[in-house]
Amino acid sequence: MWFINDLNLKKQARDLGVKFWQTPGFLFIILGFLTIVIMSATYYISRNYDSPEMLITVESLVVVLILVVGNSVISLVEQIIKLNRMKSEFVSVASHQLRTPLSAIRWEAELLLSKFRKEKIGSKQRQSIENINILSGKMTRLVNDLLDVARIDQGWLIIKKMPVNIVAIVEESIAGINAIIRIRHIEVIFKNEKKIPLVFGDPEKLRMVIENLLNNSIKYTANHGKIEIKLVKKSDFVIFSIKDNGVGIPAEQHSRVFDKFFRSDNVVKYQTEGTGLGLYIAKNIIEQLTGKIWFDSVEGLGSIFSFSVPVNRKNKQKKCLADF
Amino acid sequence: MAMLMTKILIAEDEPILNKALGEFLTEAGFTVLNAFDGEEATELAKAEKPDLILLDIILPKKDGYEVLDELKGNEKTTKIPIILLTNLESAENIQKAFDKGATTYLVKSNYKLEDIVKKIKEILGRDK
Repeated sequence: MWFINDLNLKKQARDLGVKFWQTPGFLFIILGFLTIVIMSATYYISRNYDSPEMLITVESLVVVLILVVGNSVISLVEQIIKLNRMKSEFVSVASHQLRTPLSAIRWEAELLLSKFRKEKIGSKQRQSIENINILSGKMTRLVNDLLDVARIDQGWLIIKKMPVNIVAIVEESIAGINAIIRIRHIEVIFKNEKKIPLVFGDPEKLRMVIENLLNNSIKYTANHGKIEIKLVKKSDFVIFSIKDNGVGIPAEQHSRVFDKFFRSDNVVKYQTEGTGLGLYIAKNIIEQLTGKIWFDSVEGLGSIFSFSVPVNRKNKQKKCLADF
Repeated sequence: MAMLMTKILIAEDEPILNKALGEFLTEAGFTVLNAFDGEEATELAKAEKPDLILLDIILPKKDGYEVLDELKGNEKTTKIPIILLTNLESAENIQKAFDKGATTYLVKSNYKLEDIVKKIKEILGRDK
């Protein structure tokens, strides 16, 4: 009984946001248990007391019990589903409302910067404006992440399916973090095995996943560390893997790595940025592309994160939404 | 491409966004027209016949889709390229925009002002 608890009920409780004795799973177990007890009692009574009234009473009791418990389970589940949907909608609406003022802040900062490109401006003031730009950029990313999470929860995330050059995306992502790796003296090696074919997926979403994995590796790797990226073709899939010799993930946290808002405790000290949503979103994207995402990690030694994406097959070429 | 006479109509109800966009486009050499609601947008478009329209979806009086329908349905304005500039991002919104004849769809919070200008020049360059 206890191992059932460990595997399913704890997870159900966590997913639904209730205590484990409130989960439908547990309630059904109790219901089954009570039914068995009462049926046994009925049998015992019918054996020892020749009383049809007693029998009918007890059996009616069983029916009533089943109806009552069953009903509470159903209302509980309904309530949970409704609350979850409200939560998702709230995140959607709030994130969406936040986008307007955020766009305004960023554009005003950009305007300021461009005006002062022509006139002289003190370096401190320029730095201030650039900081406003950087920080509102971070807020925008968080808002975008929250929106993606809300969409995922509601089943609305848009995933395009089209031929994608994953090699180019990897190269561009690495180029994008050039500044950071130079400052922190982290070596990034990209190993590209033979000819990697086009994959079938969403270029923007794949870029998001790759950049997320890359940023994670950097975040959890100390200065002078090493990151190795590999692309390999394996039957109908292309497998992307990124290996670092960073701090790794403690074993007891392994099962939570892809959970919403999960962030490992041993993040390298000065790297506090991050929403904890990246891997949750990444897993959802990869799985919607019919791939898989997985990792290996040893605390103190490093981690390898990998995902697979199907190869593009010629007769499957189609664009769901126009290229914009 | 003579940019001085290139007219861009901005239809955006949030005044700060509208003006920031306007100022940046003016610095980039365009002539800018500002509309703050759907009716103003359609009237200005018909009267001034801009070379390109930046259209938000959420607008008072008439929303972006209604404006799109009206302008695409009017022979005087049907050829004007229209960029939908909005923070809404769902698949239905995007598909609806293209179905109604929008040239492209940009999500405001993902675009810097200079990238919007690049897109505008790209589209105007294409039509020449």
